[in-house]
Amino acid sequence: MAATKPKYPAREPRGSVLLAALALPGLLPAVAVAENAPEQAVVAYKQLYYQDSQAGLDRITVHAPSLYGLLPMGEHWSLEGSAVLDAVSGASPRYYSSVSGASHMDDLRVAGDAKLTYYRERSAYSVSLSRSQEHDYISNAAALEARFSSDDNNTTYNFGIGAARDAINPTNDVVEDETKTSLQGIAGVTRALTAHDLVQLQLSYSSGHGYFSDPYKLFDNRPRQRDQGTALLRWNHHLQAVDATLRLSYRYYADSYGIGAHTAGIEWVQALNDVLTLTPSLRYYTQSSADFYFDPPASGPFPNVPEGSYSSLDQRLSAFGALEGGAKLEWRIDSKWSADLKASYYQQRSAWRLLGEGSPGLDPFRYVSVEFGLTRRF
Amino acid sequence: MSPAAGGAEELVARFGLMACQAEIRVAGVDADAAQAGIEAAHSELRRIEAKYSRYQSDSLVSRINAAAGSGVAVTVDEETAGLLDFAASLHQQSEGLFDISSGVLRRAWNFRAAQPPRPEQIAELLPLIGWSRVDWNRSQRRIALPQAGMEIDFGGFGKEYAADRAAAVLVAAGLHHGYVNLGGDIRLLGPRPDGRPWSFGIQHPRQAGATVAGLALGSGALATSGDYERYLEVDGRRYCHILNPRTGWPARCWQSVSVQAPLCLAAGALTTVAMLMEEAGPAFLRRQNVPFLTINERGELRREGL
Repeated sequence: MAATKPKYPAREPRGSVLLAALALPGLLPAVAVAENAPEQAVVAYKQLYYQDSQAGLDRITVHAPSLYGLLPMGEHWSLEGSAVLDAVSGASPRYYSSVSGASHMDDLRVAGDAKLTYYRERSAYSVSLSRSQEHDYISNAAALEARFSSDDNNTTYNFGIGAARDAINPTNDVVEDETKTSLQGIAGVTRALTAHDLVQLQLSYSSGHGYFSDPYKLFDNRPRQRDQGTALLRWNHHLQAVDATLRLSYRYYADSYGIGAHTAGIEWVQALNDVLTLTPSLRYYTQSSADFYFDPPASGPFPNVPEGSYSSLDQRLSAFGALEGGAKLEWRIDSKWSADLKASYYQQRSAWRLLGEGSPGLDPFRYVSVEFGLTRRF
Repeated sequence: MSPAAGGAEELVARFGLMACQAEIRVAGVDADAAQAGIEAAHSELRRIEAKYSRYQSDSLVSRINAAAGSGVAVTVDEETAGLLDFAASLHQQSEGLFDISSGVLRRAWNFRAAQPPRPEQIAELLPLIGWSRVDWNRSQRRIALPQAGMEIDFGGFGKEYAADRAAAVLVAAGLHHGYVNLGGDIRLLGPRPDGRPWSFGIQHPRQAGATVAGLALGSGALATSGDYERYLEVDGRRYCHILNPRTGWPARCWQSVSVQAPLCLAAGALTTVAMLMEEAGPAFLRRQNVPFLTINERGELRREGL
């Protein structure tokens, strides 16, 4: 029997063009370079200074040093951790600005977290644990996260679940051994629309149960169930001509307390030269008040709050608008060291609420925060 | 957890070279070392440009072409010999479609003109094309073009070779994070300092400034050939600058072909051959075992491994 002719021409040697190119000297360095997981260890130190103010009162001052570390472990793993020490002194935020009598507080908060990440070619998985401890408040949380990239790497999906359990033992013994637990889910998609445009949508939902009231505040009795949902939309656009990036964001928030909030932010990341980057930013926030928030009376006695009914005078649950302006300067000193300085100023006023009236009787609230950071790579 | 890390420590140099925009980006080293490396790479690029430019009358290529038909063979150095070997190999593997002697077609093709050349103009030039007729003596490193009017040029892969060489110089200077981009032909030094890949866009063949796809690369090279950089359009037909040495007429069929390979030289050559092979291009790239991306005449994008 005659040999049958192959239907297709014989397969060329694999990559013969590449082999011919490889025959040329001096094109391929002998150095192999690892991919995937981080390959440099990082240690970063930050020092935060924070001071807030309300008319005529000494407010909270915070000096918070923090430490962050990243340790790559082989090709596929990395371990991150951070620790923060907050030395807080001064008066706690005044719930009720037409009455003086802010209680003095001195507190020390120690918090830390750790995150272990496993990197695969198109995905990464992490598990993280965190703990925060004050003498009257202990919080423990755990989370699982996963990220997946599409085959073209233009789209990334992320999913996460988290759980937190807090133990509350206020010094004034209003309650004892109270707890609060919450479960959170998050899902998001990030997509590169063009080489210069990145858009992101993140949705999250959290359901919490337990003691949400503030034990140090009068007339503070909040529902024991709180469900919160947020939707965050971001767009980053790189402007090649001026070597800058515009970052726009919008966030919608709603919860079962009846608070609805909108946040709009804009940032401009401008490279000044090869080593300096300046990022001015502006953020506007507005929210409606919680269903059970009630306005502090302009004068006279506290209003009658029926026993057992929900109520709060916490101005964080009031209706207001706020503006925050800031700037961040990053300086890449050399390949190992970089430094950054961040300053922001925040002001909150009832009158700045959009889409409705602000809550009356509250003084404007402001804070200044300055943060200095130093990062070393190894 | 909000890491303070991740501040991009990068140095980017941009300059014009080989009639295109060149960009070198390095990261993860101090500015002095990076600057020295970039300068070394820049002078390597200028060296290659001067040596292989057909526009510079004292270049090696100009001397080879000037001697065409004289019977005098020009002795070349080892680097050029390597490139000529590569060209010879590519000519054979592409069944003659990749031919460094096809540059004479430029005498007929003016992409700024309103009309394509007349067929007889092209027919006159075809006898001057043919690598197989070039007298290339590898062992003596001597080359002679047998007929006056013949010419060779390294335009088909000079830029890609230069990108590979510049990258090699940068890596030798201790720079392992970054890339070299010569007019869209990209060769990587390595991923970002934190191990993440760089991301690259593929130019949209019909919309300047837009991209049709993105991909992440940590090593190797990426090259794209297209019908959109130099072309002329008459009666709705586009004549692009990628010319078939057998017919003298432009390649049709693909708006754009992108190839990923360990070397930019290989990636660039493969895109050109695939363009010229027209319908048979993807099968050729599959046999060459490289990831690739094509955009056909209707603008439809297809990715295989890329």
